[in-house]
Amino acid sequence: MSYLPCGTYFESYGADHQWWRTSFIKGKMVLMLVVMAVFPYLVDPQWLSVAYTVNYYILAALGVQLLIGYCGQITLGHAAFVAVGAYCSAYMMLPQHFPWPQWIVDAGLAYPISMVCAGILAGLWSVLFGLPSARVKGFYLIMTTMAAQWITVPLVITQYVAQIGGRGQAFSLPEGTFRIGPVLIDSDTKIYYLSAILVCLCLLAMGNILRSRLGRAWIAIRDNDIAAETMGVNIVAYKLYAFFVSGFFAGIAGAFYISTLSFISPEHYEWFFSLLWVGIILIGGVGSIQGIVFGSVFVVMVFKLLEMGVMWSSGALMDSYPALGWITTKIIFFKEAAFGLAIIFFLTYEPNGISYRYWQLKNYFNLWPFSYTGK
Amino acid sequence: MELFMQLLVTGVMLGSIFSLVALGWVLIYKCSGVLNLAMGELTMIGGYVCLALYTWFVTLMPPTQAFLIALGCTLVVGLVLGLLTERIFLRKMIGEPILAVIMVTVGLSFFFKGLVFIIWDTDTQVFQPRLFSIEPIVVAGIAVGEVYLWSFVASMILMVIFVSFFKYTRWGLSMQACADDETAALSVGVSAKFVYALAWAIAFMSAGVGGTLLGNINGLNYSVSSLGLLVLPVVVFGGLNSVPGAIVGGITIGILQNLTGGYLDRFFPGGIKEIAPFVFMVVFLLFKPYGLWGWERIERV
Repeated sequence: MSYLPCGTYFESYGADHQWWRTSFIKGKMVLMLVVMAVFPYLVDPQWLSVAYTVNYYILAALGVQLLIGYCGQITLGHAAFVAVGAYCSAYMMLPQHFPWPQWIVDAGLAYPISMVCAGILAGLWSVLFGLPSARVKGFYLIMTTMAAQWITVPLVITQYVAQIGGRGQAFSLPEGTFRIGPVLIDSDTKIYYLSAILVCLCLLAMGNILRSRLGRAWIAIRDNDIAAETMGVNIVAYKLYAFFVSGFFAGIAGAFYISTLSFISPEHYEWFFSLLWVGIILIGGVGSIQGIVFGSVFVVMVFKLLEMGVMWSSGALMDSYPALGWITTKIIFFKEAAFGLAIIFFLTYEPNGISYRYWQLKNYFNLWPFSYTGK
Repeated sequence: MELFMQLLVTGVMLGSIFSLVALGWVLIYKCSGVLNLAMGELTMIGGYVCLALYTWFVTLMPPTQAFLIALGCTLVVGLVLGLLTERIFLRKMIGEPILAVIMVTVGLSFFFKGLVFIIWDTDTQVFQPRLFSIEPIVVAGIAVGEVYLWSFVASMILMVIFVSFFKYTRWGLSMQACADDETAALSVGVSAKFVYALAWAIAFMSAGVGGTLLGNINGLNYSVSSLGLLVLPVVVFGGLNSVPGAIVGGITIGILQNLTGGYLDRFFPGGIKEIAPFVFMVVFLLFKPYGLWGWERIERV
């Protein structure tokens, strides 16, 4: 919570925790929605894919933030739950695998229903690997979530799920599968709008959950689990709720992402992505919803700018130095090394993440010109 | 039965490499409390460095000699890299929360992996010319590849060196003191910074030799780093801060991997061999979360 401008105060807990505490904040939010809505008309089409990648990372990192930032349960295997969601949704949409009544397909409900089912299945899968959290924590919990990654993606999904119907590793989802009501999701603009709507809904849901009894219990567990238990919080149950909700968000993210690719393959859910999402929340700020957004934007933009830089330099330098051609083939490793350095840099020099800087900035302007916080 | 014995013996020999790498991991954790997830990449770096040096030296001298010198140089490179890594990246993280330290090692693993694949390619590379003959050595009906035997010998020698260093030398004693009680060690004049640097250097060296040996068995590619990650089940099994636990755990995981590969692969085709240690680890964590000989921490509010 940032400081309020001088003279603004609330008399009830409810008023202090409402979504839009001042009309300025409300205006900011409305402005943000407007910018999101007109974004496709403002920019070059190549940035649309960047935007929905950002949104996908936000959706996926949401669950990670919930577990790490709000419940204190460190997870390094979130890509597994995203993969479960993606595969569940993909199977439910292919008519040869799943016998939908014709009217549901005609009404375009198959994709939304499969999305919800994907969320629930991924949530249950996540609870399964959250069960050890009843007994272990810290490093040992990290080990079990890592095991979730290794068991789910390389074994269960690659060896069994991806082989159903003799399809081999990757299989495609035919055009026209992705329909929501009358709208056929077939262009980058529509994918972008779908992702933006999902992000808004999920962030809203997350913010509301955190204001409820559930969210307060999670934060109590994060701050001190033994103290929370003595205060009557059933920590096992609430930890499992946290795993379920974070798995649910992961499932939604997975179900969304298949619509951008039109095919699905286990290599999109490798361990790298689990670590990437944890890195995103560390860069953005642990325990902050804005942090997810900042982190996703930062990481995706770093990748994109690196790519553009390499493309530009290869275009500019290749004529005079053809020996440098190897750089373009190894761009993915430059990305990885840059991401690794970014994590280390943020943890060392900016451990509170970008959202802390944003918080300082907001306070500075809220209290301007008479700052009394000394920060 | 013959198959069983064969898998068992090969498993012990493969496991000795895991033990060696796990030893480095445990030393870091004991001395500085850092949970290192970059061990797979450290293993890979060692393997690639040794390979590069070997292919260079082999043009100058006979293969065995070249390999031994390359291995020695890998140890030196590991020492330098370990000291640098500790100084540049880890020194600032002393006393930070567990997630921050773990994620710094994850960042390191990305950085090293990127670096390795920028310098060397992702294609599988092998030690050319071969050092060990393909013909297995048959003792009492059990055939063992020569490379496994030599890996076992090499990792045993190194393990004895590291453990006796840790137990009997002055530097090793200061490491033990630091592991036991850091504040007390500082008050009697042990330099904690020196101990951390030493622990990282030893970890880099042991992982480097482990990577070289693994590279000799299967060739060097990305899978070496996932083999290096197997230290995590190993140390969880043996106890995070137990040196004998690392050795026993490594050999157990090696045997487990080979037995599942030999017996279960026909029922669960594909990667069961790589996954089995992690499945085992989850089940084991549920019953004995502190491993065989790890310290149980009692928490108070």
